[in-house]
Amino acid sequence: MDTILKVRDIKKDSILKGISFEMTEGEMIAIMGPSGSGKSTLLYNVSGMDKASSGEVWLKDTEISGLSEDEKARLRLKRMGFVFQMMNMLSNLNIIDNIAFPAVHSDKKDRKEYYRRANELMDKLNISKLAERSIKEVSGGELQRACICRSMIMKPEIIFADEPTGALNRTATAEVMDAFLGINREGTTIMMVTHDSKVASMCDRILYLLDGEIRGELVLGKYIEKDGREREQRTANWLSSMGW
Amino acid sequence: MLRRLITNDLRSNKLISVSTVIFMAVTAMLLGLSVFLFGTLYSSIDSLMKKAETPHFLQMHTGDLQKEKIIDFAKTRSDIEEMQICNFLNLENGQIKIGDRSFDSNMQDNGLFCQSDKFDFLLDADDNIISVSPGNVYVPVAYKNEYDIKVGDRMCIGTEQLNVAGFMRDSQMNSMMASSKRFLVNESDYDRLRSLGSEEYLIEFRLKNGSDIGSFSTAYKDAGLPSNGPTITYPLIKLMNALSDGIMIIVILLVSFVVLYISVMCIRYMILTQLEKDRREVGMLKAVGISRKDIRRLYISKYLLLSVIGCILGVILAGVIAVPLGRNMKALYGEADNPVLIHVLMILGAVISEVVILFSVSHILRKSEKISAVEALRGREGKGRRRNLWIPISVITAAAVFMMMVPDCMRKTLSEPDFVRYMGIGNSQIRIDVRQSDDIGSSTDLLSERIRKDPRVDKFSVMRTGSYKTTLPNGESYNIMLENGDHSAFPVNYIEGTYPGNEDEIAFSILNSEETGLKVGDKITVSRNEGGNIEQRECIICGIYSDITNGGKTAKGCIEDDTPSMWSVMYVTLKDGVSPEEWITEYGSGSQESIKIAMISEYMNGMYGQTIRNIGNASLMTKGVACLVIVVVILLLLRLVIWKERRESSLKKALGLMASQIRMDYLKKLIFYLLAGLILGIISGLILGQRLAGGLLGMMGAKGLKFTMDPVSTFLIVPVLILASAIAAAVISLREIRNIRAYECLNTRE
Ligand SMILES: Nc1ncnc2c1ncn2[C@@H]1O[C@H](COP(=O)(O)OP(=O)(O)O)[C@@H](O)[C@H]1O
Ligand SMILES: [Mg+2]
Repeated sequence: MDTILKVRDIKKDSILKGISFEMTEGEMIAIMGPSGSGKSTLLYNVSGMDKASSGEVWLKDTEISGLSEDEKARLRLKRMGFVFQMMNMLSNLNIIDNIAFPAVHSDKKDRKEYYRRANELMDKLNISKLAERSIKEVSGGELQRACICRSMIMKPEIIFADEPTGALNRTATAEVMDAFLGINREGTTIMMVTHDSKVASMCDRILYLLDGEIRGELVLGKYIEKDGREREQRTANWLSSMGW
Repeated sequence: MLRRLITNDLRSNKLISVSTVIFMAVTAMLLGLSVFLFGTLYSSIDSLMKKAETPHFLQMHTGDLQKEKIIDFAKTRSDIEEMQICNFLNLENGQIKIGDRSFDSNMQDNGLFCQSDKFDFLLDADDNIISVSPGNVYVPVAYKNEYDIKVGDRMCIGTEQLNVAGFMRDSQMNSMMASSKRFLVNESDYDRLRSLGSEEYLIEFRLKNGSDIGSFSTAYKDAGLPSNGPTITYPLIKLMNALSDGIMIIVILLVSFVVLYISVMCIRYMILTQLEKDRREVGMLKAVGISRKDIRRLYISKYLLLSVIGCILGVILAGVIAVPLGRNMKALYGEADNPVLIHVLMILGAVISEVVILFSVSHILRKSEKISAVEALRGREGKGRRRNLWIPISVITAAAVFMMMVPDCMRKTLSEPDFVRYMGIGNSQIRIDVRQSDDIGSSTDLLSERIRKDPRVDKFSVMRTGSYKTTLPNGESYNIMLENGDHSAFPVNYIEGTYPGNEDEIAFSILNSEETGLKVGDKITVSRNEGGNIEQRECIICGIYSDITNGGKTAKGCIEDDTPSMWSVMYVTLKDGVSPEEWITEYGSGSQESIKIAMISEYMNGMYGQTIRNIGNASLMTKGVACLVIVVVILLLLRLVIWKERRESSLKKALGLMASQIRMDYLKKLIFYLLAGLILGIISGLILGQRLAGGLLGMMGAKGLKFTMDPVSTFLIVPVLILASAIAAAVISLREIRNIRAYECLNTRE
């Protein structure tokens, strides 16, 4: 498998103290660690939202930290997808418009195509009946699945998710994880920050972050449903060994 | 989708959207209105003067007319296109009556005139050259409203009668600032009535395109041609025509700039508050990779839509309001030449105001974009910059006070007794004019002797104006109208130096000083007439004063020689307790028709009445606009404050405070900031208003003017209006407090 993301010795103020890792195409990794350990900061710096103090980030052949703000924005729009904790949709648009918004707003020509794709994605994530609803009229899990649709609309190479299940209950978490696993199975690379060991256990690999450094790594391999229990157990054991 | 985003956004922020549209509409309306009125005034004056073929140079003259000499002079000039000498039959105002209204107290030189045949035509309402049938008279349109004259009224001149057949527009003398008014009659009536008045001549010239009027006028004077009377030139006529309505327009223009400022400021606060509200969403858009430019475009498109609505509303409003405000203008000067162009310009004016607003929106967005995606996602309060929304309330109140104050104070300044001194007129109680008499000198002597002996008179001075030839330091000859007399009794306003105290001193009006370049201390040689012999005497310029009388080019001195007087003026102030009205009636009944006696206040009212009334109209409109602005601003900003402090208010409720207590706290705070704004506004009105009014009136020739505050308006009307509208708006706005629930502060969502 080809490397899609290469992070080399990223430092950010005193929060990140030199972080290096790689991701291969189609991989889904989880970043774990106690609150305040720098997980979100890492995600912001890797995706180019924030400017790292030093280090390099390669998305395939593109070195991100050398790009201008506008170039980074374009890169995020076209080649990356984002899912945040909660409430990151425009309150004045309905679900389907929200999903299509970033794509349509920056590329008006393919409007029809984007809406077609939005419908397809919603279908896949079982929320197609919510298309015309306002974002206030759907549940948290549904909203988060809509956010996943939005992140997928431009067919990104990689999706960054920061505690996507952090504000959800059990059932909703399961629905959202189903969605992530589904798109990952179809080839989308995912880097996910999470607090939930069950969520992490569904990922191919887990990195453990503490005080701005990677302290450990657990390789689980592709998720298969019948191994769920066992993976959860392994993850829990590993986490407690890390001092979780 | 963009459309849906914007319409939903507008729907969920109704108050903000409506306020924005109101601001945009009012701004567009005012700017459009100023442009419209300005364009109409300029174009209609221009068109009237073109159609009437107004003379470029006009010399009024009483006495012996050396017609041959004038014709000979005209032959030598290649720049003359056409010339004519018209007769003007000056009537005594006491003899004139139209319907049952007497012209007794009228301050103008009223007289009869026959339609000229070459140029300087008198026109009807449709710009046609009027031809009058015998027995009919056309009345200057300026009198139509003042004396409530109707077609069919009888005009009595002594025992004779004429039928008012209509109203006419006089391109030269339309404005009340022009001191003469012509009544148009048939030649046969003119001849019949000739014995009732004294005849005067208007020596008129039309010059070829591009000729220099100034040099023509010098050549005329140098040729020693008849010049016993004021000289008037085309530009001066145009200025007089423009001024009486022009000031109103300038006031409206001024107000529209203030409103533009207020609009921009309010819109700024609306945007900033909204951005704060939208912070998370904007951060998300940035994170997802929407460029800053695209985000800005989202907001701009919303404001673009609002501004289009505002602009259309504003233009419609301007069109409606322009009708009454422009009525007087239309009556005086007729239709504008190119109404389509003026309407286009009006729309352009409105559009420009919107462009300014949109630019400021873009600027605000650009500046407030600092918050990064990361900061927004971390949900941080924009670096602790809590905006104080009370301060704009003060600032906008101040601007509204300023806006209301300036027109009122301007009107007050114009109607103040002391104002005459800036016009080149002595500040006395009574003014007596002796004009158009065969022997001004002896009439003046006779009358002044009588007044001097009158024990009721407290202060008195006589001014005789004659035409003097002078030589400037550079050797050029220069003619001046020199007013001789005791200038210390009722001094006019001197910008520099002081009045002439002896025969070797002369004071110049600003216009004369500007034309000759002479300053205080410079020397000039004056030709005196000593019993028929011309004697040269060097005089020093001792002072410069502001003057708008007699065309503004005047001089003052105290030379006692034998130069014949063109006219004379007496200023009288009576002792305390003497009724000036009775005094005027007593002197008026016994004196000749060439003598006009009036209160200075009437005299000023005659000249500036129209202007003062116009400013009054503008000031009424200004008050309306200011109150509307205050209502909208308070409504809006209080909502924003309540919205921002919602959680805090909810906590107060949870702790047991009543809604009425919370409301009272807001009201107290509001009144405090309103009062601060009032004080700020009054101070800035006094300081800035002085400059503005001074500058405006300076354009009329009255330089160095002191702005008089109108205490009733400043300390009573304006504060009451502002407080009343503010509190009314506040009561409505504060009703929202009722809807805040105590449990809201416990709710951690968002
Ligand atoms: N803007 C900032 N400036 C300085 N320190 C920050 C800022 N934002 C977060 N931090 C600090 O950086 C550390 C890492 O934060 P974060 O990446 O949000 O942690 P996590 O997502 O792992 O909980 C924390 O100690 C936090 O207090
Ligand atoms: Mg975090």
